[in-house]
Amino acid sequence: MEPKEVDWGKLTSIIDKYSNEKWGLIPLLQDIQETFGYIPPESINLIANAMKLFPTEVQGVISFYAGFSLKPKGKYVLRICRGTACHVKGGRSILRLAKRELALDEGETTSDYQFTLETTACLGACALAPAMMVNRAYFGKLSPPKITNILVEYGKEKKEKLKDVRDEED
Amino acid sequence: MEDITLSINGRNITCPPGTSILDAAEQHGIELPKLCYHRDLKPFGACRLCLVEDEKTGRIMASCVTPVAQDMSILTESPRVNKHRRNIVRLMIAEHPESCIFCSKGNRCQLRQIAAKLGIGETNLYPMPNYKPLEQANPFIIRDLSKCILCGKCIRADHELVVVGAIDYNLRGFKSRPATLHDLGLEYSDCTFCGTCVSMCPTGALSPKNTRYVGTPQRESLSICGFCGVGCSLAMGVVDEKIVEVNPSHLSGTVNGASLCVRGHFAHDFLNAGERLLSPLIRKDGELVSASWGETLEVVARRLLEIKRENGPQNVAFLGSSKCTNEENYLFQKIARVVLETNNVDNGGYVSGQSLLNLIDEKTDGRYRIQPLARLEKEDAIFVIGADPNHSVPVVSYYLKKAAKKGIPLIVADPRRTELVDFSSIWLRVFPGSDLELINALAMLLYRKKAYASDFIIQFTEGFDVYRRGLSSLDLDRISRVTSIDVSTIEEVAELLHGKKIAFMVGHGILQQRYGRESLDAVINLLLMTGSLGHEGAGLYILARENNQSGARDMGAVPYGLPGGQSLSNDLARRQWERVWQVKISPDQGLNMVRMIEEAEKGNLKALYIMGENPLRSLPQPERVRSALEKLDFVVVQDIFANETAEIADVVLPGAAFCEKGGSFTNMEGRIQTFTPVVVPPGDAKPDWEILALLAEKMGYSKHYGSLERVKEEIIGSVPMYADPGGHGYTPWIRETSEKALFRPNGKGDLIPFSPVISTEDEVPDDVYPLTAILGSYRYHLGSGTRTSRSKRIQEFDSKGEIEISPGDGTKLNLHDGDTVRVISRYGVVTRRIRLEDGLRAGLIYVPVAFNDNDARNLIDLAQLSRHDSLGWKTCRVKLEKV
Ligand code: SF4
Ligand code: SF4
Ligand code: SF4
Ligand code: FES
Ligand code: FES
Repeated sequence: MEPKEVDWGKLTSIIDKYSNEKWGLIPLLQDIQETFGYIPPESINLIANAMKLFPTEVQGVISFYAGFSLKPKGKYVLRICRGTACHVKGGRSILRLAKRELALDEGETTSDYQFTLETTACLGACALAPAMMVNRAYFGKLSPPKITNILVEYGKEKKEKLKDVRDEED
Repeated sequence: MEDITLSINGRNITCPPGTSILDAAEQHGIELPKLCYHRDLKPFGACRLCLVEDEKTGRIMASCVTPVAQDMSILTESPRVNKHRRNIVRLMIAEHPESCIFCSKGNRCQLRQIAAKLGIGETNLYPMPNYKPLEQANPFIIRDLSKCILCGKCIRADHELVVVGAIDYNLRGFKSRPATLHDLGLEYSDCTFCGTCVSMCPTGALSPKNTRYVGTPQRESLSICGFCGVGCSLAMGVVDEKIVEVNPSHLSGTVNGASLCVRGHFAHDFLNAGERLLSPLIRKDGELVSASWGETLEVVARRLLEIKRENGPQNVAFLGSSKCTNEENYLFQKIARVVLETNNVDNGGYVSGQSLLNLIDEKTDGRYRIQPLARLEKEDAIFVIGADPNHSVPVVSYYLKKAAKKGIPLIVADPRRTELVDFSSIWLRVFPGSDLELINALAMLLYRKKAYASDFIIQFTEGFDVYRRGLSSLDLDRISRVTSIDVSTIEEVAELLHGKKIAFMVGHGILQQRYGRESLDAVINLLLMTGSLGHEGAGLYILARENNQSGARDMGAVPYGLPGGQSLSNDLARRQWERVWQVKISPDQGLNMVRMIEEAEKGNLKALYIMGENPLRSLPQPERVRSALEKLDFVVVQDIFANETAEIADVVLPGAAFCEKGGSFTNMEGRIQTFTPVVVPPGDAKPDWEILALLAEKMGYSKHYGSLERVKEEIIGSVPMYADPGGHGYTPWIRETSEKALFRPNGKGDLIPFSPVISTEDEVPDDVYPLTAILGSYRYHLGSGTRTSRSKRIQEFDSKGEIEISPGDGTKLNLHDGDTVRVISRYGVVTRRIRLEDGLRAGLIYVPVAFNDNDARNLIDLAQLSRHDSLGWKTCRVKLEKV
C-alpha cells in the first residue's frame, strides 16, 4: 500500500494555530485527526517542538486515546457494533458481510483510503440492533442487503471491479 | 501554616501540611512496601502497594500520593490493607514471565522482595505473562518489558532527572508499555544511554548488558566517578574483586543524585580490559621485562638523581595527571620540587585549558571557589558559552535542562546547534573564536541601559572607568559581522539579561580557543559589572572536563604555581612553602606539558616522569612527540594501561585506577570528595600515592608517608583552600556552607580589577583551507579516549564519530550521509565518514575527538599549544576531499 502523502503546508498551519495555547495538545491532535483522518507519525516531532513537549509524550497521548490514530484511515470509517444486543440480533453476520464486501479485516483500510473497517462495543443504539456507524451517522436494524446498499451509497464500486484491481496488484 | 497531627500505627506524629502519608511514616521509621515511589521523582501513585487505611473513615488510599490530614488514624498493616496488597502482588506476578528465575536483577528485584515479605509463593491465578520481545541490540541496556510492572519510574527518571524524553507510555491497558518514539530500539531514539532508568527500575525489565557476570554483585561499595569534572557519586558492584556493575550511589546531597551518564554507568568496564599493567617493567636489552618493585624503584631513584646531578635539575621533568587524586598530585609535585628541585611539573589537564582556571583565583585570591550546580535552579538567567555539556559533562546538562524547564532564561552561545539549544530561550550562533566580541557587545548594551550594579562595582572592583570607556568605543555593526549574529538578536539578549544576575557556564569552546584568556576576562568583566559574582545564585562555572582538573592544579602540579593555587612569583607564598618543605624554591616557571616535548626534542631535557597521562595519544603530531620522547635518556611511565607512551618507556610502573585506591578528587564545583578503595589493584599494581611515597623514600627523602592519612594531613595543614575538612568518608572535604562558599563575606580582600576591552583580529580568508573545523567531544568518550576506547561496551556501540558537515557544503561538494572524506589541514589528515547536520553553518565542520586512536589531533600543530593561556586548538583551518 502506498504511504499516504502528507500535505505539510496544511499540517504546519494547523500546528501554528495551537502552538501558543497552554492546553493546546488535545485540540490540536483532534484538529489534525479530523483534517487528515489520522495523525501522520512524521508530524509527531513537529507537534512536540511546537508544544514544547517530548515527542514520546505526544505519542503517548495519541496512543492513549482511541479517537486518535497514527495509521491513515479511509474517508469513511465503518464501526460495526459488537455489543450484546447486536450480537443477539445477528451482528456477527453483519460484520462478516462487511468484511467480505470490503475485502478488509478489522482495523484495516482499503488501498484507495476510501474505507476503514472497525468494530466497537455497544454504540448505545441497542433498540436499533444490529447497528453500525459510518463516520458520525448511525445505521440500525441492519440486514445484508441494507449493508450493501449503504456501501454503494458511500461510493464503493462494484465488488467485481474491486477484485480486479486487487488481482492486478498481486 | 500549622503542623498537622495524626497517628500512624498508634504513634502520634506531627508534620508540616503537604507531607505525604508515606513520607510522614518513613520519617518515623515506619517502612511501607512501594514500587513506584522514589524520593527524587514526583509521586505517581501507580503501584498501589503503599496502601494504608484510615481507621476512622475506613478509607483505603495510596500513601505516596495522599497528603496527611489532621487527626487521621492511619494503619499501614491492617487486615484489609494486607489483603489488597497481597492481591496486587499476586496479579503482578501472574503477569510475570517464567524467565524471572534467571533474572539478572536477582535478589535485588523489589517485586520479589515484596512478594517474599508478604509470603506470596504461589499466586493461584492463571498466569498471563505479557510477552514482549527482548531488546538487546545496543551494548548498554537490555529491555525485557515482559517484566515491566508499569511503575513509570523509568519514564519519570528520563523526563524529570535527565530530561531527555526518550521514552514514555505508549498504548493503553494490557498493551501499555514504556516505549520510544515509533516504538523503535533505544539506539534509534534520543536515548543517551545514561542508564538512569536502569538503576531506577524495580524489576528486571531494564538491566545493564553485562557479559562477564549476570546477577547480584557480592558486595557494593561507594566511589567517585573517574571520568569527568562533575564527580558523580557511584555505587560499584563487585564480584571476585572485579567491578561488574555501576549505579548512582544512594547518598543524598550528591552532585548527581539518582542519575549518571553513559560513561559513568557503562564505560567502567575498561577497568577489566586486558591491557592492564600487572607488574613493574624495566627495559633490558631493548625489551620491557617484569621486575620487582624494589629493583624498579631503585632504578628510577638512581637514574633520576644521577641525571639531576650530572645535567642539573632543569633536565628533569614531571608530567602528572588530572585523573589522579589530590594526594597523588601533591606528592608528585613535591618530589619534583623538593627532591629534584625543579619546577618542571605539569599535568595532562594542560591540554584542556586548565591554566585558565587560575584566572578567577588570581582575581579573587582564591576566594571564589564553591559553585554548587544545585544552585542553577535558582538563577535569574543562565548563559552557556562554548560548551556542549550534554556531551562533555552530561550531569551538568541535566541541571541546565531542569532549570530551563522551570522557566529560567537559558542563553546558549555556540556555533553548533547543540542538544541544549532545544531548551534555550535564545540560541546565539556565534562564529568560532568571536565569543569575546559577543560578550563585550552585551556588556556595552547593558551599560547603555544602565544595567550595572553600582554598589557592587564601588565596593569590590577597580578599573570600571577604563572598562566602560573601552565598551563605548565598540562598533556594534562590526561585532555583528564578526560574530555573524544580527544586531537585533544581540539586543534581544541584552534585554533578556537586563536587571538579572547571570550565571555563566564556560566550556572548552572558550578554554581551548585562541582568545581563551581574553574571552574569560570579558565574561568576568560582565559578571563584575552586573554584580553577578557576589550573588549566591549566579557567577562563574567552569565546566572542567577531567575529573580532577581542579584538584591537580590546586595541588601545585603546574609549572607556574604552588599548592593552594599560589603563584610561584609570589614571594610570600614561596617562602611559606620553603619553610614547610625545608628547601629553596626557584621563582622561575618550569616547563609546561608541550614545552617539555619541545625541550626534549632540542636535547635540553634528559628525563621525564609521566604519571597517568598518555601524551602520545593526547598531543598533536604524535610522530614528533614520539621522536622527542625517544631522545630522552630516561622515561618513566606510571599508568594503569600498557598505553602508547608506556611502550617507549624505560621503566613502567603499574598504578591503580580510582576505585582501586583511596584519596580525593576536587570536582568542578570545588567540592572535595574523599573515597576509599572498592577493590584491590590487579596483580602487583599499587595505588599511585604509595608508589610515589616509596619512591621518595628510595631517593632519600626523610619523610615517611606510611598511609594516605599522612599525605592528607600535610595538605590540610599547609593548603588553606583545603584546610576546612567537612569530615571523612563521603562528605565533601569542604562543605558548601563553609566560609569559602561565600564571596567576600565581610567585604575584605583586594579590589577585583576589570580587564581592558580587547577586540579580536579579523579573520583572514584562506583560499587553500576554506573551512573551519571545530574539534569537540561526544559523550561516549572522555578526553583523548585512552580509557573509554578500552571499554567493551563503548567499542561495541557503533559510534564512529562521524564528521558533521553543513547541508550547504554538502551540496557544494556533492557529499551525502555516510560518504567518506579526507579532512586536510596544514598539519595532517583525518579520514572519516560524514553526516550532514542541519544545525551547522556553511563553512564549519565538526570533528569529534577521541575516535580512531584520537586521530583528530593530527589536524593541529604542537606549537599552537605551547602558549599556556591561549591554546587555540578548538578550531583549525581545513579543506575537504571526497574519498
Ligand atoms: S520498565 Fe521498569 S521502571 Fe519502567 S515502568 Fe516498567 S517496571 Fe517500571
Ligand atoms: S538511558 Fe537515560 S536517556 Fe535513555 S531512556 Fe533511560 S533515562 Fe532516558
Ligand atoms: S563521566 Fe562525569 S557526568 Fe558521567 S558519570 Fe562520570 S562524573 Fe558523572
Ligand atoms: S449492543 Fe450494539 S448498539 Fe448496543
Ligand atoms: S508507591 Fe505509592 S502507589 Fe506505588
